[in-house]
Amino acid sequence: MRLLVVEDTPELGEQLVQRLTAEAYAVDLARDGEEGQFLGETEPYDAIVLDLGLPRIDGLSVLKHWRARGIATPVLILTARGAWHEKVQGIDAGADDYLAKPFAMEELLARLRALIRRTMGHSAPVLTCGPVTLDTRSGKVAVAGEAIDLTAYEFKVLDYLMHRQGQVVSRTELTEHVYAQDFDRDSNTIEVFVGRLRRKLGNDLIATVRGLGYRLGPAA
Amino acid sequence: MTIARSLRFRLLAGAAVWVTLALAVAGFGLSELFRAHMQDQVEAELNRNLDQLSANLEADDKGAPTLRQALSDPRFQRPLSGLYWQIDGAGGTMLRSRSLWDAVLPPPNGVQMRPHRHAEFGPDKQFIYILERNVTLADRDLSFHLSVAIDLADAMAASADFDRVLVLSLAVLAAALIAASVVQVQVGLQPLAALQHELAEVRKGGRRRLTDEGPREVSPLVKDLNALLGRTEEGIARARLEAGNLAHALKTDLAIVSNDAGALSGPQARAIRERLAAIRRTIDRHMARARAAATHGVPGSTAAVADSAAGIVRVLRRLSEEKDLVIETEVPADLVFAGDRQDLDEILGNLIDNACKWARSRVLVSGRAAAGRLTVVVEDDGPGLADDVRDAVTAPGVRLDESVPGTGLGLAVVKEFAGLYGGRLSLDRSPLGGLRAAVELPAV
Repeated sequence: MRLLVVEDTPELGEQLVQRLTAEAYAVDLARDGEEGQFLGETEPYDAIVLDLGLPRIDGLSVLKHWRARGIATPVLILTARGAWHEKVQGIDAGADDYLAKPFAMEELLARLRALIRRTMGHSAPVLTCGPVTLDTRSGKVAVAGEAIDLTAYEFKVLDYLMHRQGQVVSRTELTEHVYAQDFDRDSNTIEVFVGRLRRKLGNDLIATVRGLGYRLGPAA
Repeated sequence: MTIARSLRFRLLAGAAVWVTLALAVAGFGLSELFRAHMQDQVEAELNRNLDQLSANLEADDKGAPTLRQALSDPRFQRPLSGLYWQIDGAGGTMLRSRSLWDAVLPPPNGVQMRPHRHAEFGPDKQFIYILERNVTLADRDLSFHLSVAIDLADAMAASADFDRVLVLSLAVLAAALIAASVVQVQVGLQPLAALQHELAEVRKGGRRRLTDEGPREVSPLVKDLNALLGRTEEGIARARLEAGNLAHALKTDLAIVSNDAGALSGPQARAIRERLAAIRRTIDRHMARARAAATHGVPGSTAAVADSAAGIVRVLRRLSEEKDLVIETEVPADLVFAGDRQDLDEILGNLIDNACKWARSRVLVSGRAAAGRLTVVVEDDGPGLADDVRDAVTAPGVRLDESVPGTGLGLAVVKEFAGLYGGRLSLDRSPLGGLRAAVELPAV
């Protein structure tokens, strides 16, 4: 899953990037409203963490700009402005969640997971496909109840495919959602990760749809 | 004292005194003028008759006065007609007009060129006016004393009539003028009354500014008042903004430190986390207080409860999507809070948020008005509160269940805000099963 964090306080931005990266997200960080707005409308993020008090363009205007352009990426507002009238403004501008600073990192993570899950149409926190289960809360993967160890990138690929069960996902799409922007991307590595996942989870879990990409589970 | 300080009283009293004085002087002057005119006429008539009498005067052989010809005015012939003449000659000879009948005009009182009054003459004790003259017939060397008299009753009656009519018409005029000045004062002071009415509305919260459409004299006052209202609003907005900026900066730093502390473990780390939580509560509480205190000074703010509740419910529906809650609102559209919208948002936000946290499936927000106050009730079907802890939950920082996220500040903030508006928060058991929180606030 790929996230955009728009946060102007450098220390907090770093903390967020570190923790989210550790949670197997591919994270881009924008330090002002202008950069954030540009990235948000050009890159395919799975969720955006948006501060409101930003230099250049304030967060609320950025959010309104995105929504006016039809960008439906789920947005979680993370701000020190915790008054209720500000929450109303944020939600009315098109935010999907609102968290006031100071916040517990665990709560931010839980809300992001739930947000991404809901956006992709899953209501339960544990995603299942055949014998394979992925607990979005703990990041644990199991086959027929038996825990499986995955590397960070293997998890990222599986996580995205599990969320998009039954849909054909192209290699480009996978690349875009697994790597952060400044990463040197090589779509061939995706093939390597898919191969390893097949070995660890069973050969028939991920189907190759020739010329289009991959599909996890039966066609939706 | 208070009546003398009334502008209306002053203007009316001034007008009444002035009108009365002016009309009294005018009445006196007119009356005197009429009297003088009457006197002139009487004098002219006497002079004319005396001239005629002098011209007709002759003396007979014995030197007694005779008239060559009777005087033309027929009143001299009619007994006691009110117009008389008399000629006194030397040696007690006397000639009188027929109108005198038995009476004799009073004896000469020296010779005066001007006519003079004489009281209690004749059978009716009238006032008469006598003009006298000495005439010498040069050829006979005879001297006569001629008198012509007129009864003043008619002239006095005319004068009294005139005075009566004059007093009556001046009194009517005075009444009309005073009535006109009442109307004038009323109309003149109307802009002030309108201003007072608008100021009352501002105080009650019906409007933010006064309308500057009054007369030139009132307009500067209105402009100054509006400027004052604007400055108050501006100052409060700036104070709010600065307090907000301070709080935001502190909270962002607090978030950074909290995250760092979250990575540590051990008793010291726990102590740090507890202090950080306390700092956060302090910021929140004082922010809420500063905002509420600032708002309290702004006259003229109002907020529709239904709008505020709808906004909060939109937020909470979005934020509690995981929970599958039904949030119902039954707030009449005409329920208007006499205070700041942001404060109302804070009150309702905390109440409804609290209900959403504890509810199993249902939250009900309702409102009603009674006698200048309004009550908003928020109920949920959660576990509710035991009777003995209800008071404790409104103290800042108290959290009954550490497993539900929150700062333990919600109900304390509601209590604080309600208190600032002279309202109160009461907690009870809801028919739905959970907590029933009712907050009473001033209404418009």
